Amino acid sequence: MDLTDKEYVERCRDGHQEDFRVLVDRYQKPLFAYLAVRLRDGRQVEEAAQESFVRAFLSLKKLRKPESFYSWLLGIAGRVAKEELRSLKHRQQDCEVTESIMANVADSREDYPLEEAIAALPESYRQVILLRYYEGNSCQEIATRLDLPLGTVTKTLSRAYALLRQELAARESAETTVNQTQLP
Amino acid sequence: MNCAECRENLVASVEGLLDREESLQCQAHLETCAACRAEHVAITRLQLQLVSRGPATAKVRIVEAVMRRVRQEQFKPERETIMSTILKHRWGFGLGTAAGAAAIILIALLTLPKTQATAAEAIATMTRGAQAVAKLTSIHLRGQLRTAPQDNFSYINADCPFYTIELWKQFEPELKWRIEKPKRIVVMDGQSTVMLIKTDDTAVKFPQRTVSAFDTEWLHRIANLSNTISNELDNARAKGWKLNLTEKTGADGRLKSVVTVLAKSGVPDNDYCKNTFMENADTRRVYRFDAQSKLLESVQIYLTRPSGEVQIFDLSRIDYNQSIDTGMWKLDLPADVSWAQLEPPKLSENEKYASLTAEQAVRAFFEACGRNDWNEAGKFMSPINDRLKEYLGGVKIVSLGEPFTSKDYPGRFVPYEIKLQAQEFNVRVTNTNSAKRCVIAGMYDSKLRLQQDFKWSTEPEILTNNDAYVRLSPKEAVQAYFDAQSKLNWVEMRKFTSESDVEETKAQIAMAEKQGMDVHKQMPVFEVGEATWSPEQSAWFVKCYAVQVKKWNIAIRQDNPAGRWQVDGGL
Repeated sequence: MDLTDKEYVERCRDGHQEDFRVLVDRYQKPLFAYLAVRLRDGRQVEEAAQESFVRAFLSLKKLRKPESFYSWLLGIAGRVAKEELRSLKHRQQDCEVTESIMANVADSREDYPLEEAIAALPESYRQVILLRYYEGNSCQEIATRLDLPLGTVTKTLSRAYALLRQELAARESAETTVNQTQLP
Repeated sequence: MNCAECRENLVASVEGLLDREESLQCQAHLETCAACRAEHVAITRLQLQLVSRGPATAKVRIVEAVMRRVRQEQFKPERETIMSTILKHRWGFGLGTAAGAAAIILIALLTLPKTQATAAEAIATMTRGAQAVAKLTSIHLRGQLRTAPQDNFSYINADCPFYTIELWKQFEPELKWRIEKPKRIVVMDGQSTVMLIKTDDTAVKFPQRTVSAFDTEWLHRIANLSNTISNELDNARAKGWKLNLTEKTGADGRLKSVVTVLAKSGVPDNDYCKNTFMENADTRRVYRFDAQSKLLESVQIYLTRPSGEVQIFDLSRIDYNQSIDTGMWKLDLPADVSWAQLEPPKLSENEKYASLTAEQAVRAFFEACGRNDWNEAGKFMSPINDRLKEYLGGVKIVSLGEPFTSKDYPGRFVPYEIKLQAQEFNVRVTNTNSAKRCVIAGMYDSKLRLQQDFKWSTEPEILTNNDAYVRLSPKEAVQAYFDAQSKLNWVEMRKFTSESDVEETKAQIAMAEKQGMDVHKQMPVFEVGEATWSPEQSAWFVKCYAVQVKKWNIAIRQDNPAGRWQVDGGL
């Protein structure tokens, strides 16, 4: 059915800019979720999501591994979110609510790694996770859409969960190490 | 159930996909196995984390907004100015997309040369048109195109009359579309895409959904204005197309914004295919928007040639968001439809065919047709149906010429001259008119099935030398009719046939001449046989045979996985 991320990136680079809409459609929801835990305000999240895609589009030629489009996009989104937080802090220095917003953002940090872990999955596993949880498809609907037997979908999900757990555990372990070394 | 079986079924269990018995077995194992229970808890926990993502992002729809901004960014001036630097960060939290559109016009107006500033205004008008239809659920276009009724969807010919071409497209809840010309239809029903060519009941199927297929993209672009803008913009940049905007008062008294695009295909003037398809034609495209509603109201496309402009497309009916009958997504196929292969399969002796030159392949194809060896002919063309067999069966090659290419065609064109097998047909002749002369009333095939009924709007006139014509037998009258036709002697031809037949013949001859055919050489040679009286029809049926030499260019290509030459057109 659809082309892979790599193929769409290459088509965009070849002048088929309108194909970029497929990549936006494919990742708008997980990107939104990724930014939502950082920015909280719905309007800011939407603006930042748009900006991340636009920056990605304008930098497509610099993307070395087209197959890693999504994780690269998350990197861009992370920088966009940081810029906005910095800007927000700057704008609201005189405003008392700043602290509470920043506190909320800080509270949500434990949710950070999930989208990054999804980005690290091989494309076939990532596709099934996105279709199941971000597009709201049932396993049967995914099977129909991808023209796969139902059993293959549940096996792919099972493997995707295992990889996600490994990835999250690795990130948690790395974070713990960093935190411990920062202790006085 | 053991541990391995349980773990294999855990996801299906969490998803509620196991049948009752399997589910009970799985539960029973979980109650007794701590390791599998831990695995089950871990999966459930991860699933809960993931499930929370769905509702939070369910309403996210930023594709159109991003694509609008992508197009605007592309049109930004290369060099930085103070204003453009300031406005570059307009995305920054507060300025919405409408403000973004206004900003880009401002940037363009401030920084671009005069001509490009006009282009920026034109693009802004189109962008507003795209925004006006951003929530489009369906669209219906009905236009007129100068084309051949059975030919490609993008085929244009300034010498052809206008034929209706329509597009029905549903965007929500599921993409479906249909495009129809008088003799060619394509339907994408959400699952697959099927095209039917009515003239020979041939169909082609793509087993998947498509956003556009065959050569319909030019019409889809009009239906999806954001694609049009992107395309015109890309070409304005890459090929130096010129865009401008004017304002006029329409027939309804309302102000209209008129965007004109001068499109150059980049195909050389001496190219064989130049100006024969939308994509390789030099055109002037006029998009008319209502200044108040911002909606696109009409499109006119003119072919621009050194000899002058000719209008080739007129779109004046656009229905937005009207419900489309679900019957439109169904394509009724004839019972004896012939399916064309999408790609020729590899043959056991594939290399023998793949190594042929284009000319050798054309020769082999015609020779196979000449022998009525349809299995062999099928290696060069799909499908081989009865109509093709009737047309090319027994054909003889007179000559083949030097193959040549065209800029946008991936194959070769091979000039050919062939002598077709004599075609038997019947002419109906009557003399029950006030002039008492034998005249032509209709054409029938060899099995006396009506092919063309000649409509006489008035009685045949009484000629000054009418008696000489009254004495002609039915067979002699038919012979005289064909003689007059082959000499292009319209005055003489009128004595035997209706005015509409004369006009149609003249138009066909003019068309063939404009396409570069030598009509004198290629006019069929008619042999006239015996006449039979039909009491039921009060008419004679005169048996005739047509022997035709055809000289033209066959299109043949081998860009398929099997690498074999396949006839693509020009028969």
